[in-house]
Amino acid sequence: MKPMKYAFFLGCLIPAREPQYENSVRKIAPELGMELVEMEGANCCAPFSIQSLDYVSWLALAARNLCMAEQMNLNILALCNDCYESLLATNTILKENHEVRDKVNEILADVGLEFKGKTDVKIFSDALYEDVGIKRVKDAVKKPFNGLRVAVQPGCHLTKPKRIHFKQQMGVIALDELVNATGAVSVPYERKDACCGGPLRGINDEVALRVAKQKLDSIRAAGVDCIVTVCPFCFLELDMGQLEIRRHLKEEYDLPVLNFADLLRMAMGMKLENWEIKAHRIPITKILNMAGAK
Amino acid sequence: MHQVANTPRGRGVLACIQCGRCTNSCPVARVVQEHNPRKLMEMIILGLRSDVLSEQLPWYCLSCFTCLDRCPQGGDVGETIFAIRNLAVRQGNIPEGILAQAKNLFENGRVVTPSRMALVQREKYGLGREPVVDVEIVQKILRRTSFDRLINKGS
Repeated sequence: MKPMKYAFFLGCLIPAREPQYENSVRKIAPELGMELVEMEGANCCAPFSIQSLDYVSWLALAARNLCMAEQMNLNILALCNDCYESLLATNTILKENHEVRDKVNEILADVGLEFKGKTDVKIFSDALYEDVGIKRVKDAVKKPFNGLRVAVQPGCHLTKPKRIHFKQQMGVIALDELVNATGAVSVPYERKDACCGGPLRGINDEVALRVAKQKLDSIRAAGVDCIVTVCPFCFLELDMGQLEIRRHLKEEYDLPVLNFADLLRMAMGMKLENWEIKAHRIPITKILNMAGAK
Repeated sequence: MHQVANTPRGRGVLACIQCGRCTNSCPVARVVQEHNPRKLMEMIILGLRSDVLSEQLPWYCLSCFTCLDRCPQGGDVGETIFAIRNLAVRQGNIPEGILAQAKNLFENGRVVTPSRMALVQREKYGLGREPVVDVEIVQKILRRTSFDRLINKGS
């Protein structure tokens, strides 16, 4: 069996805005034999906003988290697509480019650290697929969502860009299979690999909403019961975004959005708490009733 | 062009053949006429510095990296955008939203901080205490890279 102990990288957005996602992961993981070790003192992954400002600051901050995992002698488990991208890209660049690595290590030396390139970065869905395995996930499903039609929203940085994702589309295939393992069906739709618009939040909200609308139009056309994602930005953009699109672009959808961890948790027979249900702007009541229904 | 090409992440501009696949694959170009990745690369190649770095142009990209995966040349518009942004912020062109995140990062070690309400809920729902960030280390690193001076320039 593969080692299933991880340095648990929570990131900024999830504890601040989506504690229900964190809660689901903490509940599922031990049931599937995954051990999560807290990263005490870890800092922000340095997402795109920070990368936009300064290249070296980005790499140094991300590398500092990687160094922590190296010292723990563990691989990093990320929950957020953006954390995943930032840490994975930094890890790849610093492993491949010695000139940049030396420069970053010079900075890290000031805080007593050195990047050695001994850790790997995984995102939650990939860890479930590659380490836990579909069979074990399936075996853990006690209340399958039989017949639930799901639009999977992989989120861009689960698989893009391919220069750091050597397994290319595997992340999306893994997520599809994981959704299917809960008894639900991942339904294909036209703009599945397209961005949700989330990264432009706070920079250009209007454009962000118009991009989200393209996505939601395409999902609605596929005739699904709900959207399932692993990315906290996609979650916010597609869930809260529906309310804003209703207000500003006068288009109405009724597409509940769930994080995959929530879907799996329910399929494993663990109920969502009231506060977690209420954290969804688009009510998920009809989905709750479908766990183990048939 | 060479200033961009010599900036980390900007080298791809040298490979651009102006085929326009980036624009065709761009989700933002579908809704914003002003954002045209191919044209942006052309402007860089032609050396239209002030046009490229001014106002909105650097800030439409989602960093979804679709163009990166579709570019037949490894031309990297999605990467080049970061080179342009790094140059633009040094001229004081920083969107407020990004500046706010950067200041948050410097002060608290993270770009998004939980509200007091979220922290109370955390305890209440058994998620344990707030994850602690070692802010001192973050500030040491960011002072060393002159990040602090960069964000002071934007405010």
